[in-house]
Amino acid sequence: MRLEHWRSAMRSPVGAVAATLLAAFAVLAVIAPMIWGDAAEETEPAALSQGSSSEHLLGTDALGRDIALRVLVATRFSLGLALMATSISVVIGIILGVLPAVLGRRTGRLVVAVVNLAVAFPALLLALVFAVVFGIGSHGAVLAIGAAGAPSFARLVQTNVASVAGRDYVSAARVAGVSRLRLVVRHLLPNIGEPLVVNATVMAGTALLAFAGLSFLGLGVQPPSYDWGRLLGEGLDRIYLNPAAALAPGVAVVLAGLAFTLMGEAIAQVVGIRTGMFRTLDAAPVPVARAESAGDDDAVLVAEDLRVAFPAAGDGWTRPVDGVSLTVRRGETVGIVGESGSGKSLTALALARLTPENAAVSATRLEFAGEPLLGRSDAEVGRLLGTSLAMVFQDPMTSFNPSMRVGAQLAEVTRTHEGHSREEALERAVDRLRKVHIPVPERRARQYPHEFSGGMRQRAMIGMGLMSTPSLIIADEPTTALDVTVQRQVLRLLRDVQRDSGAAVVLISHDIAVVSQMCQRIVVMYAGRIVEELPVDQLASAAHPYTRTLFGSVPDMTTDRERPLATIPGRPPDPGARPGGCAFAPRCTFADERCAEAPELAVVGARQRAACWHPRQEPVPVTAAAETGDRI
Amino acid sequence: MRELVFRDVTVRFGSGHGAINAVDGVDLAVPAGTVVGLVGESGSGKSTLAKAAVGLVPTAGGEILLDDVVMRRARDRRRLQMVFQDPYSSLDPRMTVGDSIAEALPGRRGRAARRSEVARLLELVDLDPARATELPSGLSGGQRQRVALARALAADPEVILADEVTSALDVSVQGAVLNLIRDLQRRLGLSILFISHNLAVVRYVSDLIAVMYLGRIVEVGPAADVLSAPQHPYTRTLLDAAPRLGASLDDAVPADNEILDEEPPSPHDPPPGCRFHRRCPIGPLVVTDRTICAEQDPHIDAVSRPHRAACHFAGGEHVNGAGGEHVDGAGGEHVDGAGGEHVDGAGGGRVNGAGGGRVGGAGSEDASSAGNQVREVPTR
Repeated sequence: MRLEHWRSAMRSPVGAVAATLLAAFAVLAVIAPMIWGDAAEETEPAALSQGSSSEHLLGTDALGRDIALRVLVATRFSLGLALMATSISVVIGIILGVLPAVLGRRTGRLVVAVVNLAVAFPALLLALVFAVVFGIGSHGAVLAIGAAGAPSFARLVQTNVASVAGRDYVSAARVAGVSRLRLVVRHLLPNIGEPLVVNATVMAGTALLAFAGLSFLGLGVQPPSYDWGRLLGEGLDRIYLNPAAALAPGVAVVLAGLAFTLMGEAIAQVVGIRTGMFRTLDAAPVPVARAESAGDDDAVLVAEDLRVAFPAAGDGWTRPVDGVSLTVRRGETVGIVGESGSGKSLTALALARLTPENAAVSATRLEFAGEPLLGRSDAEVGRLLGTSLAMVFQDPMTSFNPSMRVGAQLAEVTRTHEGHSREEALERAVDRLRKVHIPVPERRARQYPHEFSGGMRQRAMIGMGLMSTPSLIIADEPTTALDVTVQRQVLRLLRDVQRDSGAAVVLISHDIAVVSQMCQRIVVMYAGRIVEELPVDQLASAAHPYTRTLFGSVPDMTTDRERPLATIPGRPPDPGARPGGCAFAPRCTFADERCAEAPELAVVGARQRAACWHPRQEPVPVTAAAETGDRI
Repeated sequence: MRELVFRDVTVRFGSGHGAINAVDGVDLAVPAGTVVGLVGESGSGKSTLAKAAVGLVPTAGGEILLDDVVMRRARDRRRLQMVFQDPYSSLDPRMTVGDSIAEALPGRRGRAARRSEVARLLELVDLDPARATELPSGLSGGQRQRVALARALAADPEVILADEVTSALDVSVQGAVLNLIRDLQRRLGLSILFISHNLAVVRYVSDLIAVMYLGRIVEVGPAADVLSAPQHPYTRTLLDAAPRLGASLDDAVPADNEILDEEPPSPHDPPPGCRFHRRCPIGPLVVTDRTICAEQDPHIDAVSRPHRAACHFAGGEHVNGAGGEHVDGAGGEHVDGAGGEHVDGAGGGRVNGAGGGRVGGAGSEDASSAGNQVREVPTR
C-alpha cells in the first residue's frame, strides 16, 4: 500500500476518528503506567469502596485504590494482550493458510480440511476450551484467544493465496525454480497483504472484547494484575453503589474496540473498491440545433463531434473519445479498427447510450433513424434503441444472465418492448435461435447460458438482436474470444443476418483482416479520433501513416519470413496524456512542426478521408513480399 | 541447445467419469535450434502440453525427454522456460523488473554480478537497463512481454516454451515482439515451442508446424509444407478460416458445408473413430462411403502417412484440390500442385525417416540447415 493511500485513508471521517482514537490509546498505553503506575497500586484504607468524589473521580475499589487511575493504567496491559493474541492468530493463520500452497496436493488438502473444521467451531467456545487447556491466567488467555482466532484467519489466507497462486507470475516463478518458501514470502504474501491487514486490524478489536470477556469470567487476567475486563468484573459487583466503577472500563473497551474496527474499515475503503468520481462536464458543448445536412435521409445513425469524457484525478478530464463524427447509412457495413485505448468500443457504447454512469457524453448531433437522441428522456431513448438497435459484445458469457434460461432472455426483449405474451415471445425466441443456426432450438431455448459453447452463445446473442427488427447492429469485437473456425461461422452468420434484415452493421475490431472481410467501409481510430476513413477496396492506397504501418506490422500468410516485420516505434498515448496536435506525430516518420496542430479529416481520394498533414500517395508496401517472389 | 521430445504424453484432468484427456498420447519433437509452431483451437491442449513440459501440470502417461534423458526432477525442468500469454499477469506487481529477472538466475551470485547480468538481459530484449528498478505497472504490454522474455532467458534455458506470447498485445507492438523473438532465436540458436492460435504468426517464426486437435497432434511437418500442402483436412479448415485482407466471406470454403458440425465436440465425449469426422469437409458426412472415419481411429497408424497426418484420407485430392488456391490468393502458382507432390515424395519420406518420436530431421542438425530445408520448398 502506498503512502498516499494511507494519507487519503486518514482524511476520510472514519479514518480520521479511528486514527485519533488509536493514537490517543497508544500514547496512554505508553505514558499512563509510567505516571500513574504507582498511584494506581496505592491502597487507601480510609477510603474503601467509595463513590465518586473530588479526590477520586470515579471512586475507589474494595482496597481503596483509585478506579480512574486503574482504568488508565490498564490500557497498556489490555491493549498489549489483545495485540499479542492477534499476532498469534495472524502468525498461526498465515502458516496454516500458506501450508496447502507449500505442501503437496494430498497433505495440503488435509490442512484445508482441518482448518475448515476449526472454522465451524464458534471462536468464543474455542477460546474457552483453550483457556482451560492452557491454564487460567493472562498467558493462557493470550494463547487461547490467539489460537481461537487462527482458523478464521487461516481460512482468509487460504482463499487469498488460492486466488493468487493461479496467476501466471507464480507459475513463472515456479518454472524459474524458485523455492516454495521464497514463493510464499516474495510472491504470495505481498500480493494478499491488503485484505490481511484489514482483517488483522478488525481482529485486534475482537480480541480486545474476547479478553474483557475472559477476564470478566475470571478465566483471564488474575490478581494482582488487572486489565479492563478484570476491572469491569470487579466494578460490576457494586454497580448499584458506584456505577462509574463498571462503566469506565466498559467504555474503555468499547472505545478501543471501535478504534480498531473503524481503522480496519478505513483501510478497507482505501484498498478496496473506490467509488467512481461523479462530476458534470462544465464545458459540455450545448447540443446545437443545426440545419439537416442534405443527403442524410438514408442515414441510420448520424453522430457529429461525439465526445466521451471521464473525470480524472484533480480537476481534469480524460477524453477517450475526442470528437468522432460518423454516419452509417441503411444496410451499410462499417468497420471501426483501432488498438486498445483508441476509443473504438467507447464510441459504440456512447452511440447505444450504454456508457458508464460517470462518463460525460456530448455531441453536436446524435441521431438514430432520423430521431435525435440528445435531450430526450431515458425512457424514450430506451424504447427507440430497444426495438431497433442490436448490440453484440465481445464476451458472450458475461452478456447473458447466467441464472436465466436462454429462451426466456430472448423472449424478454419482445415482452418488454412489444408487449407480446409469454408463449408468443418464447415461440419467436425459438424461431430466432433456429435462424442463427442453433441445432435443436426448442431444447436449447430451455438451457442456461453455461450449457452453450462460446460460439453458440454469440449466435444466441445475435439471435437476441433479431427479436425485434433492428435497423442497426453494433458488434463490438464479436469474434475476438472465439476460435478462427468458429469466428468464420459467426461472421458469416452476421453477414447473412445483415442481408436478410437489411440492417446496417457497425463491426468493431482490432483485426483489420476480420473487418476487411465483412465491411464496405473502414474507419481507423487512433487516440480517440478518426484518423482515416476509406472503402475496403482501397486499403492498398491508405493515406495516413498510422493506417499504413498497421497493415505492414501484421503478419499474414504471405509475409516474407526473412524480413523483420514493420513496426511502429513507441506506444499509443494514454488518454490522460495525449500530445497536442496530431496524436500520432511522436511515432510518425513524416512528422514535422506542422503536426503540432491537430489535422482535420480531409478528402484525400475518392470516398477516402484522412486526418493528416502529410497524406501518402504511393501504394502501401504490403505487397513487397510478393514482389520478391520469396513467398514462404 | 538440446532437443525436447514428448513421447506419448498424456495429461488427464479430473477423475472417474468426468475425466478428460486434455493431452492424449502426443508425440512431438522440438529439434535443437529450431522453432516448432504448435497451432490449434482453444481447448485443443496446446497450452497444457507446454505446462506439462515445465511441470506445472502432472502427466498421466508418457515421457518428456531433454536430449534423450527423461526429465524427472524439478532441477531438470529449469532447463525449460516458459513465457506466458498475458504480460499483465505474468509479472509480480510488487516486484521490480530487475528482481523478477534476477530471481530466475541460476546459482548464487553477488549483488553486483546479479545487477550486471540483469542489465545484460534487459539489453538483450531491447530495454533500457535503467528500467530494472521500475515496477511492472509503469510498463506497456509489449515492454512487459520483453521483461518476461528476459526472465525466461535468465535461467539459461535449453528450450523456451512460448505460450500465445503475442495474443494479448496490440497489433502495433505484436510485430516488434515477434521480430525480437525471431532475432533472439537466430542469434542465440534457441529451441522454441511456439504456441499460437494465429497461423500467420506461427508461420512467420516457425521452422516446423504441428497442428493439435482435441488433445492430439493431427499433423506435423516443415512449416512451408504444412501450409502449402496440408495433409489433414483440419489444417486445411484452419487455413481457410484464417481471416485475410482482401478475402470475402462469400468465397465459400469446403468447411462451410452446412451439414457439418459448426462447433468442436466436447472433450468429455470425443467422437468415435476420427475425432474430426463430424466437422470434416472430406469426411463421412460429405463423402458417404467413408464410414471408416467414424469407426477407426486414424491416430494409430499416423506415423506411416506424410506429415504423420491422423487422417485415413490424408493428402486426398479434396485436400490438395482446395489447397493451392487458398494459401495465397495472389501468387498461388508458386505453391500449387508442386507442393503436394513434394510433400508426398521427398518431404514425407524425410519426416517419417526420423522415426516415431522425432520430426523434422535428426537432433544434430543445426538451426541453419533446418531453416534451409524449409526454404527449399518449391519456388518455381
